[in-house]
Amino acid sequence: MLKKTINTILYSLIAILSLSEVVFAEIIEVNFAYVGEVEHPALLGAKQGLEESNLQGQFLNQKYNLDVVSANDISSHAFSKYIAILTAVDTDTFKTLTTKLPDTPIFNLSLNDDDLRTACIKNALHIIPSTSMTADALAQWNQKSPDSKASAQAWHPDFVKFAARDLNKRFMKNQEMAMDDYSWAGWAAVKMTSDTVARTQITDPAKMLNYLKTELAFDGQKGDTMNFRETGQLRQLILLVEDNNIVAEAPVRGIAKPPTLDSLGTLHCEK
Amino acid sequence: MKTQHWLSLLLSVFITMSVNAAPTGRIFITNERGNSVSVINGSTLEVEATIEIGERPRGIGLSPDGSELYVAVSEENKIKVVDPVSLKIIREFEAGSDPETFAVHPNGNIYISNEDEAKASVIDPKTGNLITEIKVGLEPEGVAISPDGKRVIVTSESTNMLHVIKAPENVIENNILVGSRPRAATFTQKGDIAYATAEISGEVIKVDMNSGKIIKTGSTGDSESKPKDVVLSKDEKVVYVAGGRANKVIVMDADTLEIIKGIPVGKRVWGLAISKDGKHVFSTDGVSNTVSVIDTGKNEVIKTIEVGEFPWGVVIND
Repeated sequence: MLKKTINTILYSLIAILSLSEVVFAEIIEVNFAYVGEVEHPALLGAKQGLEESNLQGQFLNQKYNLDVVSANDISSHAFSKYIAILTAVDTDTFKTLTTKLPDTPIFNLSLNDDDLRTACIKNALHIIPSTSMTADALAQWNQKSPDSKASAQAWHPDFVKFAARDLNKRFMKNQEMAMDDYSWAGWAAVKMTSDTVARTQITDPAKMLNYLKTELAFDGQKGDTMNFRETGQLRQLILLVEDNNIVAEAPVRGIAKPPTLDSLGTLHCEK
Repeated sequence: MKTQHWLSLLLSVFITMSVNAAPTGRIFITNERGNSVSVINGSTLEVEATIEIGERPRGIGLSPDGSELYVAVSEENKIKVVDPVSLKIIREFEAGSDPETFAVHPNGNIYISNEDEAKASVIDPKTGNLITEIKVGLEPEGVAISPDGKRVIVTSESTNMLHVIKAPENVIENNILVGSRPRAATFTQKGDIAYATAEISGEVIKVDMNSGKIIKTGSTGDSESKPKDVVLSKDEKVVYVAGGRANKVIVMDADTLEIIKGIPVGKRVWGLAISKDGKHVFSTDGVSNTVSVIDTGKNEVIKTIEVGEFPWGVVIND
């Protein structure tokens, strides 16, 4: 009797242990697709983001993959397995993709058209700043420094604050290129998605889209946490660069009105 | 015979005294841009000396017996060892690429984060030998060691994790996902609870170290508050958090993680240390080039001390 009880307990214990082992060993696989030119810096940024996501994933049993798809192949390619699509394509191709995959996050890593923002395409997530954002950044800076010939950028390889220095260093080391706006955008798109997977275990593209648009608080190594406007534009700091030197950050302190990140660019959809 | 007995007794007392040197009471500050260490007299709270230490000193700590002061000199990739009594640099050793933050284990070994290389290194400061390296997440930053020495926390800022390392085995026991950009951590005396800060999400996280589960998360307030260093009061009822650009030290209830008070200090407050008797907290105010002395009884600043340029780390030899 006693022996039987002990045996039962032992077998139950073994069953529980092996079950928990199975649960532990389960790896979450997450797939991204990149649509665009192979030589585009946005792809190198995405690759950097992927490496960093996998570095985190090894601690959490999550594995990230990236497929590269030519813009010519989008009609024939099967996109159903992807959590998100990263794009560096022309405006028409971008629109085609957002229509073709209405429930999947489509990241825009290269187009600055204001129209794409005010159109408020439900699944479009614009990482790269819009024309109106960079124009507002410049206008703010010119109030302080009217003679400046600065240009406005999303990123710069000499940016050091907010641990940007670390990101620039590892990008240069791994991808052998200075990080620019496009490569920062590619990195950010992958990183914000994998951060979300790590925190929420979301692997469904529609749920991912909803989370990114409503709950994101992303550390893009540009200071404050980042999230999206209803237009699908990522709120972010803009750098003002003159003669390849960073001269200021917009929102420009003392000029921009709070909430300061919304002093840059269009905020609302065209009705 | 009798005289000899007394002599040997005296000698042994003398030897014991010289080995366990009495603490100097000094407060040591690294000045990141001043390339120096400011030495504050613990009684007068005035700067009594400044040590030229090398380029970009940041992390600072003491050996378990207090007889050696360690300073991470980032641009030189070295840790320099200073005699806290004579204030002379007595030796130096390699500390990997860009050494920033470290903690000293009760067994004397140094655990240091190597920010560029996603790893933590364990170094024997007596010989300068590298004992082992532990792979962690991206941009490892804060290092904390439990008082019993059984656990080490390394925070990885870009992987958003607290990596819990079993010591002295030096294997990872747990990886705890927390808010954005975890920067620093501290343990309770028993070592069963740890508090960590997350800079970008503006949070303090309380973690059960045995289960590796987050017990509570508390906000440090407005968006300007970018929490950095964290220390616990002696009775462990209160957490002091360096509020970064909020220019205050935030006092939180250690149980509820609700804000009790914000103590205004200098600009961009960064490093914190609490005295052994629990009566004073010292903060380094990076942009103001000052150290603020907080009376923990009143939770008010009782003195502001001018130090070198960009004070970063602080340690008390008490």
